[in-house]
Amino acid sequence: MAARKRASSMSISNKPDPAEPNSAPPVQKMTRKTVGEEFRLAPPKLGVIFVISTLLCSLYLYLLCFHYKVDYELKRSILINAGLSFVGFFVTLKMIPVAARYVLRRNMFGFDINKRGTPQGDIKVPESLGIVVGIVFLIVAIIFQYFNFTEDSNWLVEYNAALASICFMILLGFVDDVLDVPWRVKLVLPTFATLPLLMAYAGHTTIVIPKPLVAYIGSEVLDLGRIYKLYMGLLAVFCTNSINIHAGLNGLEIGQTVVIAAAILIHNVMQIGSSTDPEYHQAHTFSIFLTQPLMATSLAMLAYNWYPSSVFVGDTYTVFAGMTMAVVGILGHFSETLLIFFLPQVLNFLLSLPQLAGIVKCPRHRLPRYDSASGLLTGTKDGTLVNVYLRLFGPKSEKSLCIHLLVFQALACTFCFILRHFLAGWYK
Amino acid sequence: MAARKRASSMSISNKPDPAEPNSAPPVQKMTRKTVGEEFRLAPPKLGVIFVISTLLCSLYLYLLCFHYKVDYELKRSILINAGLSFVGFFVTLKMIPVAARYVLRRNMFGFDINKRGTPQGDIKVPESLGIVVGIVFLIVAIIFQYFNFTEDSNWLVEYNAALASICFMILLGFVDDVLDVPWRVKLVLPTFATLPLLMAYAGHTTIVIPKPLVAYIGSEVLDLGRIYKLYMGLLAVFCTNSINIHAGLNGLEIGQTVVIAAAILIHNVMQIGSSTDPEYHQAHTFSIFLTQPLMATSLAMLAYNWYPSSVFVGDTYTVFAGMTMAVVGILGHFSETLLIFFLPQVLNFLLSLPQLAGIVKCPRHRLPRHKRWDTRQRVLEALACTFCFILRHFLAGWYK
Repeated sequence: MAARKRASSMSISNKPDPAEPNSAPPVQKMTRKTVGEEFRLAPPKLGVIFVISTLLCSLYLYLLCFHYKVDYELKRSILINAGLSFVGFFVTLKMIPVAARYVLRRNMFGFDINKRGTPQGDIKVPESLGIVVGIVFLIVAIIFQYFNFTEDSNWLVEYNAALASICFMILLGFVDDVLDVPWRVKLVLPTFATLPLLMAYAGHTTIVIPKPLVAYIGSEVLDLGRIYKLYMGLLAVFCTNSINIHAGLNGLEIGQTVVIAAAILIHNVMQIGSSTDPEYHQAHTFSIFLTQPLMATSLAMLAYNWYPSSVFVGDTYTVFAGMTMAVVGILGHFSETLLIFFLPQVLNFLLSLPQLAGIVKCPRHRLPRYDSASGLLTGTKDGTLVNVYLRLFGPKSEKSLCIHLLVFQALACTFCFILRHFLAGWYK
Repeated sequence: MAARKRASSMSISNKPDPAEPNSAPPVQKMTRKTVGEEFRLAPPKLGVIFVISTLLCSLYLYLLCFHYKVDYELKRSILINAGLSFVGFFVTLKMIPVAARYVLRRNMFGFDINKRGTPQGDIKVPESLGIVVGIVFLIVAIIFQYFNFTEDSNWLVEYNAALASICFMILLGFVDDVLDVPWRVKLVLPTFATLPLLMAYAGHTTIVIPKPLVAYIGSEVLDLGRIYKLYMGLLAVFCTNSINIHAGLNGLEIGQTVVIAAAILIHNVMQIGSSTDPEYHQAHTFSIFLTQPLMATSLAMLAYNWYPSSVFVGDTYTVFAGMTMAVVGILGHFSETLLIFFLPQVLNFLLSLPQLAGIVKCPRHRLPRHKRWDTRQRVLEALACTFCFILRHFLAGWYK
């Protein structure tokens, strides 16, 4: 069910049959040079990262520093957090090649299925490098506690519960990458990881009824109590697994995460700027404090994972990213908005339902078909957004398909902002 | 410096040279039957565990339920926690064989070096089963939060910080087991894992000067402030690594942990019983809430790890156990007592210093040659803890 299971194996027995060499496209850079014992990753694609960061972060930084009048104390904490995240970026950048050596030594690698039949399809790509991102994220988040000295023990409870939840999820993700647990177990695990969070959630469990429905329901707010907590738990399960199944192309997993993270940051700063309620401010800065490190460490990894990938992220990364975003959505009190940011993932999940439920036959990989002669991917009949997109818009190369899907993700987030704007007075 | 690195390898290239077969002792039970594809662990040694549990827990339970008059609310929470831990025991017992299959499939195994030359020395023993203990412990600890409903947000902060620290340590321990990080990195890692704890520690950072020294220092209490936090960080680093290097025999790692855990439980209940300060009570029940699950899950694993071992615990277990005990010592405000419980580990560390520092040549394994010390070691451990209690008793009026 994990969409991006390149024939990853930790024993050397699962090597796929090498396809007969076709006429490979002219430009096929080897992403790895092996000189005897020495292993060197291809250099990180910093140029691409610079472009992506500028595209995603400039609007956020403009809104934060210039457009809105943000309280000085708050802005200082946010900028300290941004500084720490920046450091985290460089630490991750430096640690990935180191970790890649260790990971390869333990035979945790995969072959790039979308390049089968070309020389690149035979390179062993290190897997599960998401563990580096996870550990650096946790260290940045832990250290930041010291800089945000606050007597508010409620804040400390939520922050520590968030750390415990995310850490537990990273642990379970890495155990899954190493031991390959069955998917039924994978479904249940995020529930356990969310429990510290649900316990610490001291916020309201009411939802605001959309104005048109008030007449039918009879009141403006509805206290869901425990059902709200159940909803939060399900949201976490959904987020962690949905990123996992909307994957399979170089750079897609991290790409969707950073796009959504940018949208989260912009949403948070907009909410802070347009409200004066201190509790509201606290909830949204809380989100920012966890999203900035996520963004920075993910971008560092994307430098190696962007097409053509030198490393693979593994389930460790996808469940970590999904859990972190669920956590910020829950503790920032904007989980409905988060769901709309996740629109492509929701679509992908709905498209996948028949195969996941077993009604339609579900193969091990539901990736599009790669034609090594033309270098293009063609959509198969599998029910994933990737395949449906290819069937609608024709065969594409892997890199442009990934860019298309990321633009689609950004469009979904923009649509969410527009929706919120128009429904603001009408909906709530 | 993991002492218990059986020639553990995840690729199949590190198999040690089979030693020439010596005259093996007559009773050598095969601990694993392989029937084609099917892998079956030897059945757990429940009889041994029953004996050990009775020896360790009876005194604690007697003190808790009969000897001391413990507040009803407190006792209820402790018994709920004990019940959850009991469930955790059975869950761990059931999950270890399952996990062992997965772990072997991924070539995470070792050969029992202390049985080299016998048929048992050729069996692939699954490694790193500490991950099962760690995960069940975390789930029990997380679920228990729901049963100990308290409005005290300070308690919640400390509890969540403890969970975060222990969880991070389990993660780092498992990453170490999988990727085999260099030992210099291993030294530093517990520091990061302790940070949430140090941040949440809202207790006093003063130490009580021993009465004989008051004259020299000039005051009865000394506020160490940040140095106290540094001390707590170092304590965590010490605890996690010391259990790791005092290892190498079947059942030693878990054995020392359960003995110390029993001592911690007895100490906690003694402190609760002989004091009326509610804050004091809270600190010590906090320790109990984390030590009981540790005890229960460790005993379940010991059922498979006791001589002859069917599974190995890996660094995952030793750092998890060390960190948990450091956490309960810190948050229960009895870290000095904890250090005395760790007397054998301290001795071992001091004895190891020349080799660790590189002054004397340090081989990969520092195991003894073919001697059965298991039971004697355990008794030694228990004696050290008893010595600690006696020491506290006599110094109680004199020392503090």
